Amino acid sequence: MKQQTRSAILAAIVVLALGQGFIQHVLDPQIREIHKGEKTALAGLSNEFILGPMLGLQQAVAGALWVRADEFFHEGDYDAILPMVRMVTWLDPHQLDVYITGAWHLSYNFTDSNERSDRRYIPAAQRLLEEGYENNKTLYDIPFELGWENTDKIKDYDRAETWFRVASAAKSSDAGPGTLADSPMFTWHQLAHSLERQARIDEAADIWRKVLGLTEARLAKNPTDFSTKNVRDSERHNLELLLKRKFSRYTHEIDFELDAKRTTGINPQTGEPTPKDSFTSTDPKEGPVGQPRPPAVTKPWNTAFNTVPLEQIGKPRATTTITFDKPKVMDIKGLFSVGDGARVAIRLHDADWYEPTLKDFTFDIDQSQTIMQDALSVRSRTWGRKIDMSRDPKMYSFSKDAANDPKLKKLSDAERKKIADYYLVLWFDPRGTSPFIQDKFGWSGEGMTDPGYLWVVKSNKPGIKPDNRIIRKVYRLRHAQIMGIEKVTEDDVIPNAEYDRIQEDMAAKHRATVSTNEP
Amino acid sequence: MVTMAIAKQTLEDMLRRKILLILLIVAVGMIALGPSVGFLSPRESSVVLKSLGLAVILIAGLLITILAGIQVIPTEIERRTIYTVLSKPVQRFEFVLGKFLGGLATVFVMIAAMGIVFLGVIYWQQHNLPREMVTGVAMTFFQMMLLGAMAIFFSTFATPVVNFFLTFAIFMVGNMSSVTESLTSNKNPATKLLATVLHYILPNFGNFNIQNKLIHPEQTLSNPSVFIFQNIVYAIIYSAILLLLAILVFDRREV
Repeated sequence: MKQQTRSAILAAIVVLALGQGFIQHVLDPQIREIHKGEKTALAGLSNEFILGPMLGLQQAVAGALWVRADEFFHEGDYDAILPMVRMVTWLDPHQLDVYITGAWHLSYNFTDSNERSDRRYIPAAQRLLEEGYENNKTLYDIPFELGWENTDKIKDYDRAETWFRVASAAKSSDAGPGTLADSPMFTWHQLAHSLERQARIDEAADIWRKVLGLTEARLAKNPTDFSTKNVRDSERHNLELLLKRKFSRYTHEIDFELDAKRTTGINPQTGEPTPKDSFTSTDPKEGPVGQPRPPAVTKPWNTAFNTVPLEQIGKPRATTTITFDKPKVMDIKGLFSVGDGARVAIRLHDADWYEPTLKDFTFDIDQSQTIMQDALSVRSRTWGRKIDMSRDPKMYSFSKDAANDPKLKKLSDAERKKIADYYLVLWFDPRGTSPFIQDKFGWSGEGMTDPGYLWVVKSNKPGIKPDNRIIRKVYRLRHAQIMGIEKVTEDDVIPNAEYDRIQEDMAAKHRATVSTNEP
Repeated sequence: MVTMAIAKQTLEDMLRRKILLILLIVAVGMIALGPSVGFLSPRESSVVLKSLGLAVILIAGLLITILAGIQVIPTEIERRTIYTVLSKPVQRFEFVLGKFLGGLATVFVMIAAMGIVFLGVIYWQQHNLPREMVTGVAMTFFQMMLLGAMAIFFSTFATPVVNFFLTFAIFMVGNMSSVTESLTSNKNPATKLLATVLHYILPNFGNFNIQNKLIHPEQTLSNPSVFIFQNIVYAIIYSAILLLLAILVFDRREV
């Protein structure tokens, strides 16, 4: 080869090298965007999986790991699934089902011997889903799951509403990869339900009217579409029921049995049924015959909630119907004058417990923490159960014991006895109860009264969301009582205001350490 | 014309190699078994099928390209058949180019065969043919084109065994381009310099790792067509650099 040719080739190489460097520089920001959310997970992978990511096969390794995780699930080895969820979401942060299934495992599948969920995993489930949302903001699936968890598991209808709003504004790829359509109607339906759960009835009705309009427009274009017809009928039914309930509870009580026979329709704005005699009294006990019945919530209903034996109610130093005959085995009974089907919620937790908000996802939990939550059904005005926590020492360690804490040895016995190790909270929230009970109490417990334990929870959105009236009774317990060494008495009851102050202090301490993960 | 004749002969020779055909058959078999993960949900099955299918094509393509690339020139030298070729009015650069094009055609045929089976399996399972999967197969081909050029360059001065490990190692390092890119903004000046040199001098095979976007097309780039075009141009330019270097080295080499 001639020297001139060699020189020309070398010059061409230099020019091309500069060209490829320039193109690489242009590609780099786009590649960063593509790999956003991915993390190198090599350190946690077993040998057969390490080569994959090194050859650029993260997604294939993620898929293989998820198949393996599915096998573990079917074998019931739930602990093995969690590290795999972490690994898969690092390798492929766009696998929505991994985030959703992983969060479901954390929230629902770690249970005690009586299938009570281990609530210590709930913050991890929330954080996992939030991380999934940060990596997949286009689609509705993960925000919808967040909304659902907050509704079903956590009963935080505020946060549920926030996430359902995000879900309903997002897109759907349910029709197939690469297709983006509006989010499905059920995201809007759940938004309406979450507003109803907060007693924001007019807003909920507005959502139902909006989606009904959209569905009817879609049906007009395709009148024979059976599934759209079903959706339209369901939305119409939900709107009418909501308006009827509102009318019955707050304007004139409707007899829902007679209603089906006498009513021909309802006013779509007010819920007022036609003909008007659907809400007039037919029984002198209800009021003057032929006159409109008063609103259901104006007939105060005394729920007479208590955990004291009947014969001791009102007596000083009354005993309770809460006993620990064996260590960590609680036998609890109570009275509650409501219809069958209502549930009394019960939570026994460490005195310094506050549900944390995690900054980063981790499935490590504080094993020394104790929290037990359950819901007990009311039958014939009584409720109760024996809750045996001794069979699950990992979940219920009951490690807090101020009386024997060496760090508190400077305090006297009397002072130590005043320190709470645990709180036992018993409550009934009308917002989460069945509609037929709400028909008497209203969405915010307006029709409910109780001589001892009625408590008003102030709204965090004044003017938008009404205050809520709940029934709540809180016991301050010590380790010795949980172990059955000392008895639980009514002297252990603390005022609801004091419990609220304690929770606010915990919330403030927690807020100081982490930032919010709201969208 | 001479170049094309050499390319055609190389292609015919490569397609007769049993090792390459065995790799192809195994890869096609693995792709065809993809739908057996049907016990997952439909969306998960789709993701796993696509990711595994693209992975099989990549790994099989990698092995086929390296095995073909490391042998095309050394084999001719070992068998002494190169003398017959170079004694004719064939320039050395025509020989190198012809070998490269022949190897590239071999890789194209193999990847096309796997791609057709892969797209067929997807169509059978999902009753549609996502354009992103065609893009994925095409990107794998261009990635292998760059890899093949590198193997040809090394084969002009290294033995096949050394070439195999060298090419494989550079492929692995090149796949970690997102790591080297992030290190170019490291506070340590030595690390920053080394990362910058590695990132802009070594071929970045990681540019072609866009399975994420292909498998989850809802995660859109601002302009995917431009990105793919830039990647193809990158592959062509870098391959040209390697071939020119190969020509320069081979021109001086004693055979």
